[in-house]
Amino acid sequence: MWAYAARRVVIGVMLLLALTLVTFVLFFASPADQARHACGKQCTDEQIAVTEKALGYDKPVYEQWGMFVKGLATGREFPADPELKKTHPEFITDCDAPCLGYSKTNGKTVNYLIGKAAPVSVSLAVVAVVLWLAFGVSLGIIAAVVKGSIIDRGIVGLTLIIYAFPTFFLGVFFLKFVVVKWGILAYPGYVSIAEGGVANWLNNLLLPGMTLALVFLASYVRMTRAFVLESLGEDYIRTARAKGLTSRRVLFKHALRAALTPLVTMTGIDFASLLGGAIITEQVFAYNGMGKLTVDSSQAWDLPTIIGIVVVAGAFVILANIIVDICYALIDPRVRLG
Amino acid sequence: MGKKLLRAVAASSALALGLGLAACGGDSGGGGSANDEPGEKGGTLQYLQSFLYESADPQRIYYGVQLAQWRRVLYRGLVAFPMDSDPEKATTPVPDLATDTGTVTDGGKTWAFTLKDGVKWEDGSDITCADVQYGTSRVFANDVIIGGPNYTLSYIDVKDYPGPYTATPEQQAEFEKAVSCSDDNKTVTFHFNKPWADFNQAAAGMMMVDPYKKSFDEGDRSKWKVLSNGPYKVEGGVWDKNKGATLVRNDQYDESTDTPDQLRKALPDKINWVVNGSDTAGELFNDRLIKDAGDDQYAITSARVTAQQLPKVQSGPVSERYVNVVSPFTDYLVMNHKKLTDPKVREALAVSLNATGYIKALGGELVAEPADSIVNPGTAGYKPNPAFEGISDGEGDPDAAQALLKEAGVKTPFPIKLSYPKTPTADKAMAVLQESWNKAGFDVTLDGQGDTYYDVIAQPDKDSDVMWAGWGSDWPSAMTVIPPLFDSRPNISKTTCGNDYGCYESDELNKILDEAANASNVEDQQAKMQEADAFLGKEYAYIPLDNQKFNWLYGSKVTGFTTTAASSSYPELGLIGVSQK
Amino acid sequence: MNNEHFLSVNDLQVHFKTADGIVKATDGLSYTLDRGKTLGIVGESGSGKSVSSSAIMGLHQGTSARIEGNVWLDGVDLLTLSPPEMRKLRGKEIAMIFQDPLSALHPYYTVGHQIAEAYRVHNAVSKKHARKKVVEMLELVGIPQPERRFDGYPHEYSGGMRQRAMIAMALINDPSLLIADEPTTALDVTVQAQILDLLQKLQKEFNTAIIMITHDLGVVAEMADDALVMYAGRAVEYGPVSEVLTHPEMPYTWGLLSSVPDVTADTDIPMVPIPGNPPSLLNQPPGCAFQPRCVHSSKVPGDLCKTTMPDLLPGSHGGSGHLTRCHLPNPELIYETEVAHDVTPTQSEER
Repeated sequence: MWAYAARRVVIGVMLLLALTLVTFVLFFASPADQARHACGKQCTDEQIAVTEKALGYDKPVYEQWGMFVKGLATGREFPADPELKKTHPEFITDCDAPCLGYSKTNGKTVNYLIGKAAPVSVSLAVVAVVLWLAFGVSLGIIAAVVKGSIIDRGIVGLTLIIYAFPTFFLGVFFLKFVVVKWGILAYPGYVSIAEGGVANWLNNLLLPGMTLALVFLASYVRMTRAFVLESLGEDYIRTARAKGLTSRRVLFKHALRAALTPLVTMTGIDFASLLGGAIITEQVFAYNGMGKLTVDSSQAWDLPTIIGIVVVAGAFVILANIIVDICYALIDPRVRLG
Repeated sequence: MGKKLLRAVAASSALALGLGLAACGGDSGGGGSANDEPGEKGGTLQYLQSFLYESADPQRIYYGVQLAQWRRVLYRGLVAFPMDSDPEKATTPVPDLATDTGTVTDGGKTWAFTLKDGVKWEDGSDITCADVQYGTSRVFANDVIIGGPNYTLSYIDVKDYPGPYTATPEQQAEFEKAVSCSDDNKTVTFHFNKPWADFNQAAAGMMMVDPYKKSFDEGDRSKWKVLSNGPYKVEGGVWDKNKGATLVRNDQYDESTDTPDQLRKALPDKINWVVNGSDTAGELFNDRLIKDAGDDQYAITSARVTAQQLPKVQSGPVSERYVNVVSPFTDYLVMNHKKLTDPKVREALAVSLNATGYIKALGGELVAEPADSIVNPGTAGYKPNPAFEGISDGEGDPDAAQALLKEAGVKTPFPIKLSYPKTPTADKAMAVLQESWNKAGFDVTLDGQGDTYYDVIAQPDKDSDVMWAGWGSDWPSAMTVIPPLFDSRPNISKTTCGNDYGCYESDELNKILDEAANASNVEDQQAKMQEADAFLGKEYAYIPLDNQKFNWLYGSKVTGFTTTAASSSYPELGLIGVSQK
Repeated sequence: MNNEHFLSVNDLQVHFKTADGIVKATDGLSYTLDRGKTLGIVGESGSGKSVSSSAIMGLHQGTSARIEGNVWLDGVDLLTLSPPEMRKLRGKEIAMIFQDPLSALHPYYTVGHQIAEAYRVHNAVSKKHARKKVVEMLELVGIPQPERRFDGYPHEYSGGMRQRAMIAMALINDPSLLIADEPTTALDVTVQAQILDLLQKLQKEFNTAIIMITHDLGVVAEMADDALVMYAGRAVEYGPVSEVLTHPEMPYTWGLLSSVPDVTADTDIPMVPIPGNPPSLLNQPPGCAFQPRCVHSSKVPGDLCKTTMPDLLPGSHGGSGHLTRCHLPNPELIYETEVAHDVTPTQSEER
């Protein structure tokens, strides 16, 4: 299994590097003149050229990418200007390996920015995943067990209606009504556990977590329902019943074990993609997580940050895939890694 | 006002405003209605900001609203614009850190300022000429101090100066000759390579010649650090881009070196400056102000009331806390001179413009007023452009346009591609223009574009015929409107037309602009700019559309809510206080 | 009722309500079975043979199925039992083995665990004790190294081994009735024989009554004492195997006999399948359900086959033990002259 994991990690790293190369190429293929943006108004061509050099955008794309990869391995200094380092060592920002780059837009290393943003996205993802699993799976099981009844149709219909609303709408609805109009909850703003304790952290994550969870709720209800129904139709369920097991035991021990296995995969991948940032939810609630960072850096043509996010978010997904596959092998004895 | 903010405004305000409104509530350029009582000191003001700053470094700030508001609380300038309801006074600098508004010699090429005694940084050290010199020099380091206005680079009489960080001693000495200090380190003298008649306006409106303490400088790492010399300081010394900061009183600030009634009353003891960069933050901030509960009673916001909210604030108690003002942002159409070479065709577009319908489509007179020049009325020396008389507030004359097209001898319907940044409101407004032009013998294709709009229309080989654009001046002088938009020399190169989106090139205009630039006093300069505008009007190089209007709301415990020309029509932070009753 | 028999199914109906109407999966089915005896139920898929057996198991409880009639087992009408009472009988008194042992075993649990579960649900014993019992059972059904195989997963077993394991699971509680639903269909021919031998051996040992559901008359010939041929939810021919297979009186049974492949026979003799498809069990028309496929219906006077469903009555040859549902006046003659030569000798002449 370890050899398998190691091989997957190596492939994953190569995939990530390829991904960064693609991002570099796409970035420079855009019609926007990044240096002109950064330089501001009234910049002469010479000034733009200086800015371009300072941002490192003057070098060929592959060379910039090479420097980025080298920075990942050995770390970098910003600005990489030996002369400036001599005269003004205090200007130089060290970026230790694995250095993801330096964002001129933010005046910080990308590592720092992601270090700040990731806990927000992780918190949001954790709260959301707990909410949607708790409600999605149990509602899905209920719907499957009472299949065809009013309750089943109610659950499926209601979650579909919720699903039909855009995330943006749900988030704004919560803010406008739950917070501003009814004053039930305070205006949420991310508070880390270290700053405010678990209760405060959770309280502030409730609305955004709910918004995000509602996005996934419908699909998890439907998937759970479908998987449970499929599993209940399996021959081994008939065997289990023929053995004289109670229907509770048939459901929980035999049907769910099989039904929830694909959900583990789904949850793993969904959770990992959320670690890379829930763009709309974070945007609506001004949660400065990976999603918000993605939007902000895209709008500011902040290539280093975009690349850093690609790497980290991509790594989350790849890692999650590996973990999910290993989990799968542990859950399902038929699966052999290799 | 930085263009970047303008872009934000252009994309998100006038064109994004959706609802047409029965008009009421005229302009109130001056004070807030219920708060004429003299403000009292003390209390905590809540400032709700709905966008993110780009920097807290004075030499890198380019957002107009940030420049105007931080001038009142954190960064004093050599000179500053007074908080006056009279636009003319509000656009005329008064002394701030300096003892006067500058001594001009050498036909406008030399400016000298002497610093007041007792002006200090928040760390207690004196502000010296060397600080002004250093601050000015930083702008030259385009490789470190990226962003922020660059005007000084083309004026200061120094060659090949790379900024203070990498300059050789010789280069540095050269710069310190161009921006020199007196022996007592009190008087700074700027030597320019050409006259700069409105330099003190630039110095008041922007921070490119603000002092900066060398020992505080960490280059790019200083981006979010604040060393204040104003009445407040940032708690912790660092501005959090995504969260904002708390401003508390700066005990090193000496009111006696200042003119509080003119420049900054600094009434609240504390300003709780909350930043929320979410797209919906502005609307929600105003929802909270409408509700007026708890701390929000003490709140003002950088976010304007949205079109959907406008009906809610027109009547009842909330209308007492509502202000509608003309902003310094003007929208216009610019013709692609590479394609529409015939002035008759351009004139036909102008005379058949349905300006009234356009403003109605934007949302009516609460969100925009007709513009009769590309120069905003809040600009010093503004004068309506005679070419657009009867056009800017008319519904368009298709017959006259058809006659012009006939005269021009072009085949009709004449195809026109109209480009603009796409929003639902913009689509509606542009459809109005399309309709009126189609009646006049054009065949208009609408071309709504995405985020890279300005990059696309800057390209010399674009196929747009007419482009929508917006502009706000960097300081209230037409010098920051017409030359940056129509002087072909700094704008046009092989790869770009810069801000001269129509790729307009005219030696005749450039000559007028040079004369204006070389004027030794502001009056002559303003006359030249009016001439330049009239020339552009005759050429139909552009068509003015509208001056955007701002709609503001504030909490019931806020006193002295005002907007002025000096505050870019944003809340005038220097006058605002909170009631402690 | 027929309480002298161990199992007596009486006028059993299993109807499903669907959006399109009522599906009469089993209609008016009656048969009896004694301890130690085997009943072979034969029919195409969809003929109701599995559905009726599931009804005996009470596996339709909690579904939309409407079940009527009586199922007397050892003097108790199973259809009157409450779900918990029925559950206690399932796996204990009545056990079942299924066609595809791979899908019938849970892929995530070890074989031993699954068999032990069947034992422990009816016997309050420790895990250790259950394991011992399961290993014994595995050994009994002929699984080598049962101690080690206990911890194997179904996918690690061969097809035959899996079916042996299923048999072990079914018999671990010493049931008095075993329903074997196509127990050999999914298996190789050689393995099929082994499994059937095993069942016969165990039947002798435990004196179990077996219902053998199959579409393979060969299996019936080898295993069963009685044969019941089902078509469209009803019994169409029922009697001792010797009677039914040698003197079949119903054209459908003839068809089944003709369609049995014979590996020993001359390949030139074609296998004759029954033309057409089984009827829909929804809204059945009056008349004989087999009529549309019946090549002999023209020999019945009038359109009797189309209008009137024949009753299940004693046939012309074997007396009251042999029941058949057909309007043909002289089935025996038709069989001898027109059908018998198509039927492979293993069936027709051996008997």
